[in-house]
Amino acid sequence: MEQERKAWELKDVIMMAILGVVFAAVYMAVFQGGLVISTALTPFGLANFGFEIIYGIWFMAATLSAYIIRKPGVALITEMLASAIELLMGNSGGLTVVLTGFIQGLGAEAVFAAFRYRRWDMLSMSLGGMASAVLIFCYELYYLNYITLDPALLAGQLLVRFISAVLFSGIICKLAGDGLARTGVVRNYAIGASADIVKIYDEEE
Amino acid sequence: MRSLNPACKFISLLAVTVVLAGRMDPLWNTAAFILSAALIIVSGVRIRTLLLLLLPVALAALGMFFTGYRFTADSAMPVSSAAFLSGSSQLVNGITQASRVFAYAGLGYLFALTTDRILMVRSFRRQFHLPQVFAYGLLAAWGAFPHMAMEYRKTKAAFRARGIRVFPVSPALLAPLLVKSVRWSDELSIAMESKGFSARAERSDSSPAKVHLRDWIMLILCCAVLPAASILI
Repeated sequence: MEQERKAWELKDVIMMAILGVVFAAVYMAVFQGGLVISTALTPFGLANFGFEIIYGIWFMAATLSAYIIRKPGVALITEMLASAIELLMGNSGGLTVVLTGFIQGLGAEAVFAAFRYRRWDMLSMSLGGMASAVLIFCYELYYLNYITLDPALLAGQLLVRFISAVLFSGIICKLAGDGLARTGVVRNYAIGASADIVKIYDEEE
Repeated sequence: MRSLNPACKFISLLAVTVVLAGRMDPLWNTAAFILSAALIIVSGVRIRTLLLLLLPVALAALGMFFTGYRFTADSAMPVSSAAFLSGSSQLVNGITQASRVFAYAGLGYLFALTTDRILMVRSFRRQFHLPQVFAYGLLAAWGAFPHMAMEYRKTKAAFRARGIRVFPVSPALLAPLLVKSVRWSDELSIAMESKGFSARAERSDSSPAKVHLRDWIMLILCCAVLPAASILI
């Protein structure tokens, strides 16, 4: 019975893919915003911080979908689907965007797995985002050649990335997930079982 | 480039990216960018389109130049840039960081601008054995993207009509989009199941993505010859 409950259904996969599309579009939009901040910080050599401030947005697809569907593998697969969609849209970051999605998804997935997929709250989601931040940072030391930069600068970047991860993938995703649950549109998913539905969203209303 | 198998092209260009990441050489980065830009133009992409796409890349590269220039790892630190670069100056580090941005973007755009999206998913399904439920899920979601863009514009217009100013990624804009998206995902999965799609039953392909000799040549060049050259030179 437990096995059946955890098995993936087509609607789960479509939901992950659709959330992947939504967040891939958001990623592309915020990239432009990050670029503006980054350009303003360029003369000081702090351009990286323009993206660090919003880095947590890149972990949102994983934590939000996992919070809604609550099944093993959801965070990892959603992040990979989102990165594949980014690739389809044309990404200036290069081809490793899919690899990046895998690493980020793996971080969040590891935290949810550590909680045995039983704890779904702001703490687990924030830790999921922070784990994604750590893993992707380690990868960037090599891939983005960050290893040649001042360790003090890198420590500052990681700190800002942690704060961003908690804000976006923890706090905002929790609020967004609860908000969605209240509308009733996710009543067929695990999150809907415990939600206090105040309004059933209906297209015909 | 357009006729290459997308899965083989992906692996080949990914291998080039990994070699460049390990190499940390501005000359190699610049060569990769120039070659990518030339191949993009030869593939029929307009120069103006490419230049417009490269504008944000140039800004990011400028940012990385100053970061690399001002914050080079000191030689006394456990991790020293001198151990990785042909020169140890701040200027070389800045140029390396900036050229890396151009090289990665060039390779990324070379793939994105010369690859058919549908063929790419079909190729990934066949060559990478991507489970069909993900392949078709991805295609279905990709098909819904224009509706999402339209919904986003409609919501934005509604706010504007009421005299309310919202940011492009404002929660006020994204909340209705998320609600709609969840509804679409439900409707899509029901529609797919009603048309006989099953996650488990195997499907045939009318024109499967094949690997040709030119794909093998590209793979050998990028995954064997280039890494070998990187070690030897």
